[in-house]
Amino acid sequence: MRIKVIGLGSPNGDDAIGLEVVRELSHEALPGGAAAVACDRPGVDLLDELEGIDAAVLVDALRSGASPGSVRVLSPAQLARGPALSSHAFGVVDALALAAALGRPRPALRIVAVELEAERGEGLSVAGRAGVGEACRCVRTLLAELAAQAAVETD
Amino acid sequence: MSERRTIEIATLARVEGEGALHLTVEGDQVVDLRLEIYEPPRFFEAFLRGRAARELADLVARICGICPVAYQMSTLHAVESIFEVTLHPSVRALRRLYYCGEWIESHLLHMYFLAAPDYLGLEDGIAVARSHPGEVERGLRLRKLGNRILSLLGGRPVNPVGACIGGFSRTPTRSELKELAEEIVRARGEAEAALRFFASLPVPSRPQAIELVSLRHPSEYPMNEGRIVSSTGLNIEAAEFATAFREHQVPHSTALHCRRTDGGRYLVGPLARVLQNSDRLSPSALAARESVAERLSSPDPYASVFARAIEVIYAFDEALRVIREFEPPPKPAAEFTPCAGLGHGATEAPRGLLYVRVETDDRGDVLAIQIVPPTAQNQGCIEADLRELAPRILALSHEEARRACEMAIRNYDPCISCSTHFLTLEIERRSKA
Repeated sequence: MRIKVIGLGSPNGDDAIGLEVVRELSHEALPGGAAAVACDRPGVDLLDELEGIDAAVLVDALRSGASPGSVRVLSPAQLARGPALSSHAFGVVDALALAAALGRPRPALRIVAVELEAERGEGLSVAGRAGVGEACRCVRTLLAELAAQAAVETD
Repeated sequence: MSERRTIEIATLARVEGEGALHLTVEGDQVVDLRLEIYEPPRFFEAFLRGRAARELADLVARICGICPVAYQMSTLHAVESIFEVTLHPSVRALRRLYYCGEWIESHLLHMYFLAAPDYLGLEDGIAVARSHPGEVERGLRLRKLGNRILSLLGGRPVNPVGACIGGFSRTPTRSELKELAEEIVRARGEAEAALRFFASLPVPSRPQAIELVSLRHPSEYPMNEGRIVSSTGLNIEAAEFATAFREHQVPHSTALHCRRTDGGRYLVGPLARVLQNSDRLSPSALAARESVAERLSSPDPYASVFARAIEVIYAFDEALRVIREFEPPPKPAAEFTPCAGLGHGATEAPRGLLYVRVETDDRGDVLAIQIVPPTAQNQGCIEADLRELAPRILALSHEEARRACEMAIRNYDPCISCSTHFLTLEIERRSKA
């Protein structure tokens, strides 16, 4: 089973959470031999990252009004597609909708969403930093589950 | 009594950045028209003061996620003219390859995701992907090659960092370029198919008398170098920009408007480039131009989509030429000594002429910088175009009027994020007392 962890974001404040998670995870052997990839605002290029894999864990910062740094695991169906107005604003949900419209096979997806505090500025907020640690633990657990599931399927 | 109607588009869809349109018509007279750019100002020209010239290329790349190369190129040329840096011919050629990557990426994104929904009467690029998956897959494959070029020379496709004063921080190896060339050879026929697809769509037509402005080079299709020329006879060096063009503020926009010094509006971008430089196109791009010659017989902003498709074909040809003729330079970047001076750079961004003026002190730090993006220059044309369009859309429903206005604006592919930097339509129809 080919699994990827894809960290999404930009260098702006806590929007870098997804990128930071991947940076931390890239130092360790991940369950199921998963590859960790950081994608700085990939837009439509996220489709390429989702090619040829069976499962992916996407890590991204989220703004939902929850307490900053809190981590949630979401399914793609839980993400709402906002008004996609320009390609500057082409997000994860748009990329997934585009992949579906093109009829591309979609890997099993889990989204690890970390509530952000600071949308701008240099470096993560204290809450954002705490969220990175929690998100890493969450990603490892999800990968172990996916790997175990794959092992059962192979048996 | 004549009817007065106001059309408001509070947020323009499918343009790069955030803007709105306010239009008031009385009878068939436009009494008020404002393309409002409300994206917050970004103060690049102010916070770049005091920075070392060597930092500029990385900093200006942050102005835009779609056309960073253009900002890097115009700025570097301005700085290099101050420091009297001469580029090695191979490095100069690689800069053309770098620009090809950006044109390919930016043009295809616009064609398939911003413009195509207009001609198919669909809401967005995702709906186009559903109705024409094969075409959109083609656009994505072609665009990916643009990304490949940008990653190879810029280190990464978003906010690339590879360009520096004198050249690049690293030049690609022959084997990397050979691999890229093989991918381009496999895909390039699809660029012609992309033009055929757009030529098969009901793209409207409304030719207009517009002054066209672009670079013109003695032998090449213009990218990094050339004189600034216009369809009415202007022919100046980049250093003379201020003699022919002037930026001014308008109350309704956070982006400056740039006009000719006599107040005249002018058009920059792919249409201006193709119409003024057809004789510099590669043979296959020229053949592609001939296939849509009827649509390019006079300036028509709606024909811009064909100009973009022609330039995509050209960019693939040019990329291949550069790669085939490539000889590794002795070093990736020429050396330089920072000094005081005044420099000008004018290069062709995907959306048109991008002018940069830089003044440095004796340490080579920035004293002043002026950045004139293509959208600032096209705003006058966009507003004039909408003024002409307005009487024709009065009978339409608000939704149809909004679509017609947005489509007219999209022809210019405005990058509002760059020029500050999108549409919310407001049409006011009021009865005159």
